[in-house]
Amino acid sequence: MTDKEKQLTRPFWTLKRKKKVTGAVLHVILGLTSIIFVFPFIWMLFTALKTPAELLQGTQSFFPTNPQWGNFKEAIEKIPFFLYLKNSLVIVVLVMIGTLFSATLAAYAFARLKWKGRDQWFLIMLGTMMIPMQVILIPSFIMYVQIGWLGTILPMVVPAFFGGGAAFYIFMLRQFFKNIPKDLSESAIIDGAGHFKIFWYIMLPLSKPALITVALFVFMATWNDYFGPLIFLTDPEKWTLALGLRSFQTQYGGRYDLMMAASILIMLPTLIIFFAAQKSFIEGISFTGIKG
Amino acid sequence: MQKKGSLSKLKKQENRMGYIFAFPWMFGLIVFGAFPIIASLYISFTSYDMISAPRFIGIENYKILLFNDNIFYQSLGNTIYHVALAVPLGMFVGVVLALFLNSKIRGMSVYRTLFYLPNVVSIVAMSLLWLWLFNPNFGIINQVLKPVYDLFGIKPLRWYADASTSKMTLILMGLWTAGGSMVIYLAQMQDIPVTLYESAEIDGANWFQKIIYITLPLMTPSMFFNFIMGIIGSFQVFTLAYIMTSGGPSRSTYYFAYYLYDLMMADQNMGMASAMAWILLVIVLVFTMIALKLNKYVVYLGEEN
Amino acid sequence: MKKLLMLLMLLPAILMVAACENQDTKDKVVIDFWHMSPVGSPTFSKMRAIVNEFNNSQDKYFVKGTGFSFWDYWDKISLAISARTAPDLGLSTIDDVYGRAKGGVLYNISEMIAADTSENNIDLDEFRESQKQFARYEGDLYALPFTSTARVLYYNLDILAEKGFTEADVPTTWSELKTFAKHFDVVEGGDIQRLGFDPTYGNATYHGWLWQTGEDFFDEDLNPTLNTETHEFVLQWIKDFNSEFSRAQLQTFGESNNMLGIDPFAAERVAMIVNDDGLNQKIVDAGGTFNYGVAPIPIPDEDGIRVNWGSGFSIELYDNGKNDLARKEASFEFLKYLMSEETQIKLAEANGWIMSHISAMEKYTADKPLLAKILVEVDYAMDKVYVPYAPSWHGNDWQPFYTEALEGKKTVKQALADARAHYIQKKQNWEATN
Repeated sequence: MTDKEKQLTRPFWTLKRKKKVTGAVLHVILGLTSIIFVFPFIWMLFTALKTPAELLQGTQSFFPTNPQWGNFKEAIEKIPFFLYLKNSLVIVVLVMIGTLFSATLAAYAFARLKWKGRDQWFLIMLGTMMIPMQVILIPSFIMYVQIGWLGTILPMVVPAFFGGGAAFYIFMLRQFFKNIPKDLSESAIIDGAGHFKIFWYIMLPLSKPALITVALFVFMATWNDYFGPLIFLTDPEKWTLALGLRSFQTQYGGRYDLMMAASILIMLPTLIIFFAAQKSFIEGISFTGIKG
Repeated sequence: MQKKGSLSKLKKQENRMGYIFAFPWMFGLIVFGAFPIIASLYISFTSYDMISAPRFIGIENYKILLFNDNIFYQSLGNTIYHVALAVPLGMFVGVVLALFLNSKIRGMSVYRTLFYLPNVVSIVAMSLLWLWLFNPNFGIINQVLKPVYDLFGIKPLRWYADASTSKMTLILMGLWTAGGSMVIYLAQMQDIPVTLYESAEIDGANWFQKIIYITLPLMTPSMFFNFIMGIIGSFQVFTLAYIMTSGGPSRSTYYFAYYLYDLMMADQNMGMASAMAWILLVIVLVFTMIALKLNKYVVYLGEEN
Repeated sequence: MKKLLMLLMLLPAILMVAACENQDTKDKVVIDFWHMSPVGSPTFSKMRAIVNEFNNSQDKYFVKGTGFSFWDYWDKISLAISARTAPDLGLSTIDDVYGRAKGGVLYNISEMIAADTSENNIDLDEFRESQKQFARYEGDLYALPFTSTARVLYYNLDILAEKGFTEADVPTTWSELKTFAKHFDVVEGGDIQRLGFDPTYGNATYHGWLWQTGEDFFDEDLNPTLNTETHEFVLQWIKDFNSEFSRAQLQTFGESNNMLGIDPFAAERVAMIVNDDGLNQKIVDAGGTFNYGVAPIPIPDEDGIRVNWGSGFSIELYDNGKNDLARKEASFEFLKYLMSEETQIKLAEANGWIMSHISAMEKYTADKPLLAKILVEVDYAMDKVYVPYAPSWHGNDWQPFYTEALEGKKTVKQALADARAHYIQKKQNWEATN
């Protein structure tokens, strides 16, 4: 065919055109819907920027007329922000490492290994998530007091290395592990590999998106947890950011503008990590068959 | 080539391996979990005001809850209503969001972060905002819907202020945090081989068919996960009602976990609260076991093609 | 790997901080005091100054004061009490001291006062009997009243002046209140812009109004009443006060200001409101600049009693079963300090509370006419009775029935009857398990 003929016989909806239009439509839909989801954050930001007098206006004013960017600085100065930040980081890092360690191991056991009592233990694991935390609280607290861990971060950190609070993640990782084609591990077994090798060289690399999701969720949950630090830590030198933030809520209402400012600052790390983690989501295009 | 003898040896080894891999978790459960859990079971058979030592009273707490307590059944009913609606809706929204956000157009990371934002915002801040948005009189939502109300000639919905719509309102508010399940679906979708889509396109499949025949079936493991977690979580619904409606109006949003909390904190009746917790455990366990049995028929596990 | 390194680098810093604290406490008896002014709160530095002054005034004892945010404080202290890791001194609520005293987790303060022969011993006459009675168990005091609240009628003088009224015109009876309040209602296009008064706003409670008729929820045997004509009368009056508006309107109007913990009165949306001494602090915190005053809450026209719901914090010495006499002695010394006249004045200044020490508060409010008036009402304040089978009888037990009656879902009579049945069922159940 000549070039001219090709041009005449080309359909209107070329692949390129299709992609452009779908892209535009998608942007519109997503853009509009995302406004709904972003709204809470915008509202928080506006509240953080208002003056106390404006807050008194209640719902009359939505937009701050005199943005008090200084509120962020004040929020940092009112509480020992960097001390709390350090404390939060220590706990969060330890819990992330511990959870990833114990949860991936247990998930592999439930997903890929056959062992006696496995399904019963799985049900028990699910069962641990069905008891409301409040009724476990007092016996749990007394237990930690008895072993002398009161006033330390140990009750918040050590259980993570032993699957504490990880039932959710174990279940989730199990689903992901189950989805990885069995041929991969079977051929590795034929080649003489032990389960640890399969776990380390096959399961984990192929589950990167899942692992990142777990890390993100654990980070968020631990970073925002104020209750654990509240009940186990008394010395304010050891407090975390989430707990320190509560100081802005006083008996008589307190400075909501400062509270919002501090809340936003505390939210930022999670957002940054989430945004950065997107890269492995996009890149994590997996392959099918049996390679090398 | 494997001999028969080494097959059974492999089985024994696998059995041992299973325990070794599961050991850290099991150890944690037995050492850190067993005492509090068993203690709470014991407490459910006692009268315990959280000050003096618990006093054994047998099944009295259970008898009272099941046979002489109107609020127990009201709170249970509210919760079942919530579970029945929140779980399917939550899954639907999560899946739809994930489907939308799995495209490779530019700025997708930004969108995903925006949709995930509500999960990061503190729940107290969110609740305050929702109280404002959904306010029957001056809330934006009713302002926006005014033309719709006028069109159908109905009075504006009173959202959380009306016993007949309060539960639904809280469910809608809960959907804001569907970004959480969306992330899990997105992670799962990364594992779907691109080649499958490519060969489907060659066969002439359009986007809708691709979703129905490739994406969704391959997402069933995480859908199943979110379903089970949705059930477990929804049965414990509490926080939103606590912050926003105080269980009202007329106890319409007084959920099971809320009553449990009140028994513990307001009535100082830890024994009965623990009994409620164990009743809940049994209920949810039954539901979950049923769901697990259904697992076989629903979930595609990458075994066959 | 990187994370591990980061962790290892932080470790020495943590250890260093831990080592620093031991310098000031060598050779002293160290005790813990928990209060509600955490690091970062507006009252933190003042509370710390009060504790430091005690520490600096002698070198036998050292008090470690730690503040927790008001909303978290209660979780923290109740868990600590359950696990017997409570602080040496802490604050709590005075109306349920009975339960803790009975459970044996509090030290007997009467004994300690009796055994003390020093000059700065606590003068029990400086504390009101109406509060002390709640702190007694088997004849002895197991706590001391720390703060004393009272509820009064706040009125916005600027709004009153708009219609030509002054302080002298503030109503004193229920019917006066109703007619007076109507002057200040402002409605625009069907929406309430301003309200004169509503008996459900602020800190007003059903039982607060009820008590003014001389009636209560429970009789001497703690059986629920609730089926009397007086109850019906009071509930009907509350419901009908602003009957020209729907309950929905009234609710959303009140809520629109509660969004950020702001009070309708502080936002100048109501002319009058019933609230406790805390509202004064709230207005100051929120930067309100209008003129306002307080008066006793109006009482029923016939046989009305001047009474208001006043509660208060208690201060308690916790017994963790460790029999540490040195700490007990130290705690008592600190208690004496906290309950002394000068310190009570300082505490009032620091927290914006009305403390329980009578002379101290008279001195403190001498130059503060508003607080002085509230102080007078403290003498007419009554606390709610402790009902073991329904410790929160005025809260989550009562509220659903109350709102149903107000919203018209049930008639006043029906709501009261249902509430009564609920309490009776609760009593039955409690007796079956105790």
